[in-house]
Amino acid sequence: MEQQTQFSGAEPRELYLPEMATITEVRRLTDLETLYTVELPGGRELGHKPGQFVEVSLYGIGEAPFSISSSPTRRGSFELGVRRVGQLTEVLAGYVPGRKIGIRGPFGNGIDVSKFTGKDVLIIAGGIGLVPMRSMINYVLDRRDEFGRLIICYGSRSDSELLFPDELAAWEKDPRVEYHVTVDRGTEGWTGRTGVITTLLPGLALDLPNTVACICGPPVMYRFVVMALRGRGLPDQNVYMSLERRMKCGVGKCGHCQINHTYVCQDGPVYNLPDIAKLREAL
Amino acid sequence: MAQYFLEQARVTDFIAHLLAHHTVYAPHHRGGRSFAFEKTSDPEAVVLDYPRVLNAVKKFFLPPREVLLHFDLTRDTAAVPKVEPIDAVFLGVHSYDLAAVRRLDFNFSTGNPERNYLVRRKGARFIGVSYVPDKHHFAGSVGIDPYDMTGCDMFLTKHADGWIVDILTGEGSELAAGFKLEAHDEPKPRRAHFTQHVFVPQARLGQVMEASYDHPVWNETAETCLSCGTCNLVCPTCYCFNVEESVGIDCTNGHRERSWDGCMLRGFTEVAGGEVFREKVAARQRHRVYRKFKYISDVTGQPWCVGCGRCTASCTAKISIVEIVNRLIRDSERDESILT
Repeated sequence: MEQQTQFSGAEPRELYLPEMATITEVRRLTDLETLYTVELPGGRELGHKPGQFVEVSLYGIGEAPFSISSSPTRRGSFELGVRRVGQLTEVLAGYVPGRKIGIRGPFGNGIDVSKFTGKDVLIIAGGIGLVPMRSMINYVLDRRDEFGRLIICYGSRSDSELLFPDELAAWEKDPRVEYHVTVDRGTEGWTGRTGVITTLLPGLALDLPNTVACICGPPVMYRFVVMALRGRGLPDQNVYMSLERRMKCGVGKCGHCQINHTYVCQDGPVYNLPDIAKLREAL
Repeated sequence: MAQYFLEQARVTDFIAHLLAHHTVYAPHHRGGRSFAFEKTSDPEAVVLDYPRVLNAVKKFFLPPREVLLHFDLTRDTAAVPKVEPIDAVFLGVHSYDLAAVRRLDFNFSTGNPERNYLVRRKGARFIGVSYVPDKHHFAGSVGIDPYDMTGCDMFLTKHADGWIVDILTGEGSELAAGFKLEAHDEPKPRRAHFTQHVFVPQARLGQVMEASYDHPVWNETAETCLSCGTCNLVCPTCYCFNVEESVGIDCTNGHRERSWDGCMLRGFTEVAGGEVFREKVAARQRHRVYRKFKYISDVTGQPWCVGCGRCTASCTAKISIVEIVNRLIRDSERDESILT
């Protein structure tokens, strides 16, 4: 490292200036969550991978990271699923089609799809974790021949909080999808399964060495899902997970998303379990 | 490289010579035991013989507050401010602070190179000075002695009634051009006496840290730590920042600003919804110390702590990074001797 840094040469590209994009569609998902369709100038592709994120700017309000919910196979625009939990998302909730938002990214490693190719894909999504996982689910559905089975396990606090209800209904009917859902507490009229997400896992018929799992959900969920998958005998190297952290800059500088030696915005947010199993601040 | 001698009585003349041609930043006395790097106008006000400045020269290249974007809210547009190179001479920099600048250079030039830092940094020229270690310096333990001239264009080593001057680069020659200096060929002092030491070879520090994740020292330190973040703010190699928005009173314009942040502050890892990933003070202390002696060092092979002693000297709770690290070393050696 002792070599001297060279300060001559081309100026580096601008890291912190967002590009203005247009919201073209707003879909209310639940009381709290909204899906925004966003178009870059000239309909340019975002060029993302499933599992990547962007930084969204509302000038005067702030900037925050959001995972991309659409698959790169759906072209022309991209989608962000946003839960109303803070200042920026509260303001964003009032946005209508035609409004502009600033976009930086895509950032992060995203899902290495090649690790899933030819394999049975097991998606485990808890609550709002379905938003990023949806990019992978639709990727697999759009390139269905390249993958084995598609097994989706989705857990939510309540059936009133289930996201993308029309897509869930479509997955339920689609013979190419094995869809399982559970809610912690069902409202009156809920006829589906009740219980935490890990209760879905023991009953699954899995072709073990041929199954690769991807997990996303609230921080508390990972430990229990990992234990349940290990209990089923799924090798750790077949498990990927997307981690949430406070990715302020997105470019590996600000330090907020660091877990031990790894910057989630650079090396993550998607990690292979053996790479983080020993990072005790990770899960 | 050429060597000369500058008598103490002519130091102000030399500074006046620099000031005639350049902008000069140098240490000034700020009252009490406090010194600060400031823009020089009066050569008499510069103090070359000082223990340490409160904030390292880092503050010029990564300012405590910095506008990243100006925006116009009436049009929803934003622009980046023009960043200019700091075309200046930094006179009187200690070797550990230059070592810190090299570490920041590494951080801001690798991965995604950052224009703001690199442009500012480009115009800087450095005249280093030797120092006498006080009760907090331990730079010798991380391989940076007070006479280390790495990264300097010129270096002044305290000797007898003046300074031995090493001219190290073409830039250094230009700085001295037109100022009469006597040639000097006496051997220079080479060894400095530090009272603070980290008692382990650098190569083994990573291993020691690896074995110390659950050491009781983190919880014990947390009992006195106020979690105020002072250690982060005074550290010359800390570069983490927060980003905040500021809007003008008429709501038509505003700016996005970054400011120094600290991993010791509770909110540092907080995400929307309120989850804090390093909730315990102990976890934050470990993160801070590991940032200096493990995480980045494992990658670069160098400790990210430069031994300036600022975090210890500034700590309200008198927490000493040297004591923490030495205790980890001692206990890891004891554990090994039990095991083997």
